[in-house]
Amino acid sequence: MKIKAQISMVMNLDKCIGCHTCSITCKNVWTNRQGAEYMYFNNVETKPGIGYPKHWENQEKWKGGWELKNGELRLRSGSRVERLAKLFYHPDQPEMDDYYEPWTYDYETLINTKRKNHQPVARPRSLITQKRMEIQWGPNWEDDLADGQSARQDYNLQNIGNDIAMEFHDLFMKYLPRLCNHCLNPACVAACPSGAIYKRDEDGVVLVSQDGCRGWRHCVPACPYKKVYFNWKTNKAEKCIFCFPRLESGLPTVCSDTCVGRLRYMGVLLYDMDKVKAAASTKNKEEIYTSVLGIIQDPHDPEVLAAARKEGIPENWLKAAQESPVYRMIKEWQIALPLHPEYRTLPMVWYVPPLSPITRRVEANVYLPSIEEMRIPLSYLAELFAAGNVTVVAKVLQRLLDMRVFMRSRETGEPLSRGLEYPEETYLAMYRLLGIAKYKERFNIPAGLQGKTHEKLRELQGSCGYNCPGGC
Amino acid sequence: MNEFLYGVLPYIALTIFVGGTIVRYTVFERNWTTKSSEFLSKHDLKWAGPIFHIGLLMAFGGHCIGILVPKFVTEAAGTDEHMYHMISLAGGLPAAVLFLGGFLWLMKRRFAGSDRMAVNTSSMDKVLYLVLFLTILSGTIGTLSNIPGSFDYRESISPWFRSVLMLQPDITLMEHVPPVFQFHMLMWMMTAILFPFTRLVHCLSFPFEYLFRSNIIYRKK
Repeated sequence: MKIKAQISMVMNLDKCIGCHTCSITCKNVWTNRQGAEYMYFNNVETKPGIGYPKHWENQEKWKGGWELKNGELRLRSGSRVERLAKLFYHPDQPEMDDYYEPWTYDYETLINTKRKNHQPVARPRSLITQKRMEIQWGPNWEDDLADGQSARQDYNLQNIGNDIAMEFHDLFMKYLPRLCNHCLNPACVAACPSGAIYKRDEDGVVLVSQDGCRGWRHCVPACPYKKVYFNWKTNKAEKCIFCFPRLESGLPTVCSDTCVGRLRYMGVLLYDMDKVKAAASTKNKEEIYTSVLGIIQDPHDPEVLAAARKEGIPENWLKAAQESPVYRMIKEWQIALPLHPEYRTLPMVWYVPPLSPITRRVEANVYLPSIEEMRIPLSYLAELFAAGNVTVVAKVLQRLLDMRVFMRSRETGEPLSRGLEYPEETYLAMYRLLGIAKYKERFNIPAGLQGKTHEKLRELQGSCGYNCPGGC
Repeated sequence: MNEFLYGVLPYIALTIFVGGTIVRYTVFERNWTTKSSEFLSKHDLKWAGPIFHIGLLMAFGGHCIGILVPKFVTEAAGTDEHMYHMISLAGGLPAAVLFLGGFLWLMKRRFAGSDRMAVNTSSMDKVLYLVLFLTILSGTIGTLSNIPGSFDYRESISPWFRSVLMLQPDITLMEHVPPVFQFHMLMWMMTAILFPFTRLVHCLSFPFEYLFRSNIIYRKK
């Protein structure tokens, strides 16, 4: 057993209103520079939809993530030799138009235009070529199912067949905020020819060394979530850094902190590094989720704690792991699921799938629908969060429904019609965490770097810059 | 003049080449990159990029053999002058076609292709493209003009280059070299001088180590 700590995030999609505050605050902090204008480390997609970049879920096109070949885990983009042959031209690399061409408007014309019969207009101008352009596509073109044609092209709809016709009376949609998943088995790391991408030993954050990156770009198609971007100005790869300077100070990421719906949760998970590869190699893709739960370790287990201490994980991290909100949601209650586990990267950003209004088809005099009657088809959620395993998603939704039924019965005094899976305290805790939890409960991030005390950091402050305390 | 061209300039060029590259790598590693433009314009790179690079690798290999391996070695191995010339043409002509053809294709892409390419083209890139073009062109013309085999560079240029490397430049060897080859000499030195300041440095980063490392890298802060 080799225990490592991982900072992880859970998003409760039930509460996402698609306001894009996370995307905007993230952009203002990290990607409002030339070369990075088109990048959204965090973006919010309306599902169904083809997403950003276009059709990112179609791995037959992009060859992202891992696959099992003769039982062996390997990158879908091919062997190492095959990939080195693609150094001079990468056939699977997305180009700018797969995202969108960033633009601004000629706002000055509104002020400077001479007096005319018609109002002046601010026309769009490309931020790349600085020339006039026609806007064809944008980072959030499909918001709320705008551009209805692209919604039908959602890759997840292909797999679930014709029973979900996108007809008006049963139309459904949901929001999906996406950022780098800081995977346990990251494909971008494995694909980088220069070895510039790495998983940080202390907290599992996946980072691109801007010094080590040579611009071979293999990470960009290798990431099945398309969350590594190529900066056309610096000619290096960039990605979400999980706001690591904030994490180091015990603060959550900007996207989490500013989330209006307060639907994001962050905390520490302990996992067994020795079992990561086996979990990623789970034969049946529908069972990968269960395998991942198997490698996440119980932070109260003395054996796990002893192993963690042996690896040098500090006490405040172990304490945070024991009080981790994400551990409870992911492992204890099992109400959170990873996005597209079939990519086999073992993502560490998890989602509580949304309950949704009842479909018109079964419109009846019921207050709470059963899970099969919900507007978002179970099979669709299963494609997104469980590699098509409907049972897993149904179980999770049932737990969320049970919580509501339980809380309702407490208010109304009506008896419960069926037995509950968990003890009552669990539902109360679940209700508190999902419904009314305060900042400190939603985020439990141990401050400070492993092995470096606050005093040491203060001592170093101003002496050599924060980017390399003690290291330069 | 020849004294400067073949006795002094090579050392200036090689010093800037080696020293500048070391300084760039140690001090300015953050801008050490392939400077790929595939993101900005993909479809026209599909054939041009690989063709250029394959031609380049072939040409590089041929130069290594032709310049660094002394004539008596190949002769001792049983290859007479005529046979050697035929072999070198068999490799050199296709290399020249791929190298120059790929380069022209890339030039067209860069200067007559997508508008977006302009943001990936610095002033240094323009100078580099000119110098590279003249280098490749003079090399190709030299190869073509010497198809009959009247000029044996392995008795002039090659030993001179080796004498430069041995720090005892023998300028007399270069006295009767045809002008196009002399021009080629000047241009490779120009390329070497520019090398550390351009995108060319990425050739030193060919990731051999990738074949041997583990998949997932963990690194402590």
